[in-house]
Amino acid sequence: MGLLALGTALEWPEAKKKADQVRQWGIEQLLANWRRARGKERDALLWGDEVEYLVVALDDAAKKSRLSLAQADILKSLAKDEELWKNGGNRSETGDHAGEEPPHFHPEFGRFMLEATPGQPWGIGFKDLLKVESNMKWRREVAKAHMAANEVPITLTTFPRLGTKDDYIQPYYPPSGPALRSQFVPDEIANPHIRFPTLAANIRSRRGRKVELNVPVFHDINTPRPFKDPTVNYDLHNWPEDDDVRNGAAKDDHVYMDAMAFGMGSCCLQITFQAKNMTEGRRLYDQLSPLGPILLALTAATPIYKGFLVDTDVRWNQIGNAVDDRTPEELGEAPLKNDRWRIPKSRYASNSTYISQDPRLRKEYFDPDLVVDQDIKKHLMDEGMDELLATHFAHLFIRDPLVIFSEDLEELDLNKSDHFENLQSTNWQHMRFKPPPPDNDNIGWRVEFRSMEIQITDFENAAFSIFIVLITRAILSFDLNFYIPIQRTTENMETAHARNAVQDRKFWFRKDPFPRRVPRSTQQSANGSTFSSGTSSAVNTPPPSPPLGPVDSEYDLMTINDIVNGCDDGSFPGLVPLVESYLNSVNVDVETRCFLASYLDLIRKRADGTLWTGARWMREFVAKHPSYKQDSVVSEEITYDLVKAVEEMTTKEGKDGSVGWELLRGRKF
Amino acid sequence: MKLILSSSNIMQAGRQSVIRQPLTQKSNVELINSLRSNFLASQQTDSSPNGTKSNGHSTAHPSWTLQTEDGLYIPALDFSQPGLAEERDQYDITVKLFYLPGIPVSRRCEHTREAIDLVLKELHIKSIDLLIVSFPGILFDADDDSEEEDSTSTGEDDFDSIVQTWRTLESLHKQGMIAQLGVAEFGAERLARFLPHTKVKPSVDQINLKDCCVVPKNLILYAKEEQIQLLTHNDCHDILPVGTTRELLGPAGAGILASSPTANDGIQGDVEPQWVVKYTAVVKDRGVVENKGYFALADVGTCVKSR
Repeated sequence: MGLLALGTALEWPEAKKKADQVRQWGIEQLLANWRRARGKERDALLWGDEVEYLVVALDDAAKKSRLSLAQADILKSLAKDEELWKNGGNRSETGDHAGEEPPHFHPEFGRFMLEATPGQPWGIGFKDLLKVESNMKWRREVAKAHMAANEVPITLTTFPRLGTKDDYIQPYYPPSGPALRSQFVPDEIANPHIRFPTLAANIRSRRGRKVELNVPVFHDINTPRPFKDPTVNYDLHNWPEDDDVRNGAAKDDHVYMDAMAFGMGSCCLQITFQAKNMTEGRRLYDQLSPLGPILLALTAATPIYKGFLVDTDVRWNQIGNAVDDRTPEELGEAPLKNDRWRIPKSRYASNSTYISQDPRLRKEYFDPDLVVDQDIKKHLMDEGMDELLATHFAHLFIRDPLVIFSEDLEELDLNKSDHFENLQSTNWQHMRFKPPPPDNDNIGWRVEFRSMEIQITDFENAAFSIFIVLITRAILSFDLNFYIPIQRTTENMETAHARNAVQDRKFWFRKDPFPRRVPRSTQQSANGSTFSSGTSSAVNTPPPSPPLGPVDSEYDLMTINDIVNGCDDGSFPGLVPLVESYLNSVNVDVETRCFLASYLDLIRKRADGTLWTGARWMREFVAKHPSYKQDSVVSEEITYDLVKAVEEMTTKEGKDGSVGWELLRGRKF
Repeated sequence: MKLILSSSNIMQAGRQSVIRQPLTQKSNVELINSLRSNFLASQQTDSSPNGTKSNGHSTAHPSWTLQTEDGLYIPALDFSQPGLAEERDQYDITVKLFYLPGIPVSRRCEHTREAIDLVLKELHIKSIDLLIVSFPGILFDADDDSEEEDSTSTGEDDFDSIVQTWRTLESLHKQGMIAQLGVAEFGAERLARFLPHTKVKPSVDQINLKDCCVVPKNLILYAKEEQIQLLTHNDCHDILPVGTTRELLGPAGAGILASSPTANDGIQGDVEPQWVVKYTAVVKDRGVVENKGYFALADVGTCVKSR
């Protein structure tokens, strides 16, 4: 998450008045940038991963683990070192990473979080792929070296006891502050940069009440029925929003949470790719979209909230609810009077548009409920943008800008993208299509894949990152087609939440991903419109083709194992076989292939159930803990032991029967 | 007569090149499926009646094939179409040539030129970046840390013939047609014996391993010392056997060959596959495989030379 310059952030009533101006200026910046960059060609594949950490302070004597709010100190200390490195100073600790730029660290929403990215983007050189895992490990070491002795960076998506009544943060602050007005977390939980408290406060203010997260509790044998979240305080009277719970915000049989920190405090694994041009970027955006929920289910790692086992495995909807700024009218709870439309999804949700000018994109795939700002769409099209892309941005721009700095409203600078990014980067969809930044000619059109959960070890994080990279190469090489109606992807996203969805649920997926064979006699005319090989970004006309069958017959419900490893009946070939087929077509040295084989093996086995997901492992860890009372409660003691186990896993990686072998090795020896 | 089989670009043809099987299982399924599917696609798009096409004289060959003085192209090829979408220097072009078992070494010079020539014409290029040659009868065995020379079973690929073949490759290298040369399935001992006989050293040794994490240590060390890159592959050893060829081209397949050498349902005589070549064009800094395909050449009938 990039930080905007400091300034005077407007409170919601003021910000709301300026929303139209920001949108208009954002659109003008988009148009200027699009005109400048639409013809950008032949950019190399560069890609980057983002790994996010929780900083946990361990108190071994008391057997307690707490979130550390030391982000600012850690980042300051890291920045000092980065400065030192830049000036050619002491690089001794970089022995294993000669020639690699030192990693970058960034603040995140939670003051207990850190984000780390590689010092420079990765390429497709297979040697680069080998460096990813060791670079991730290096980042972790560097981060740890700048923390207090009892602090560790861990890659759990969420801290199991965030928002409980105990002192789960260090230093301790009481909840119920003016910005978040949460009865569970203090304002100090958020990054103090004005952007973050303003974001949280304006979401709450626009929404007209606190955000509301109700996650179904996992009912164990001793869990009360109905389960009434015992941590909810119905007698708090500090803020008007304290009425929320008295108005039924906390639902029976659910764990209730009330602040942005419960969602935006989650750690994710995000991958960004640079495409060769806009055409390829749009194509990858579309083709990766159906994979979002599949990878979410495969990486499931979030079974605990606020000290309770929950009945969902992933973080996604919790974040969606944590930043849901929709008003009752937009939510459909009240008749439309002041607002412009009903909006079916939160700003943080699965994506709703396809944008590729691909002849295979059928109109049946589009979201019939897509909300679009027609004026913006018309304006974009009047300025020459094609309908697909105009629709995409006019859809993103139905939202209000949430954080506005008054200083930025004095003059429109078409060489910047701040107003555009204000909307673009607060649409947290599972795919993001990123225009090149106006101030850097070296960066091309990019696509971000955002659905994956962070994994406990860097081996897993590297495996999933590289897997996605290889899938993009297979998509482009084989000209694959994963299109399904986008509503099915939305459904899949919900399905991915179910406990053990990776094994127990089925997902909509396209049966035949291969292009139809083009006879050689017409191949050349078709070649010009084949996205993988075409050099131009020009609009392509589809070659005449035989009539298509009904859309419903193109896809089916499949297990994750079918999708990843292939269907037994031979219909869908499987993502891993596709990647292997790709690898068999390129020159890969034995060492690299060995690494890649271990990564693909992890993914293959996660899909077929030989290996557990992080979520399943955590459930089992809690269930087997001697102090667990089969009542869904994940106590401080269990949390401490869990954090210790996770820490051990990051170094031992389940080798020789060490902790976590079930999710990393599948066997004890 | 010569039969020139081709798969066209299998990346665009899809399914047949993606095989659901364990990673390291060697296979010629890709070759066979891609040829078969290309034949089928060409037959289907061809609407003209079979039989009486071409240059004045009546022929039994289907019209989706093309008879030229080089031989019979199955299916017909049109080299006038552009091969690659971008500038040549954007690509890494790797070619792997499989010399087949039982074919005399004396033909290799000619075979090498034929094969390379077809690839150059297909892709509209003047040179290739890497040529890997696969000799028959050489089996790499990672398990016992040594490779056997399987010369007893096939009778041919002794050391001298490998060196003799390499001379041909070196001359093509000298002409600028091939930037780098490579071998397949060489163990450390064979490499050590081979290198002193080369003017142009192989830059690549391509090996197939059951578990690619178990590479013999002496090979790793030796390759490193000699700056030979060890690459992986999953091609099977006898990539195009006689029986398979007849099946592909016979009445149940392409309908070109007779069901047996003496049957009346197609071209008569013995069929003898001579070589197979695989080519791959990868866009360098994007890792995209843009074009990949096979050519194979078989002799049939009276053309089958005596050994």
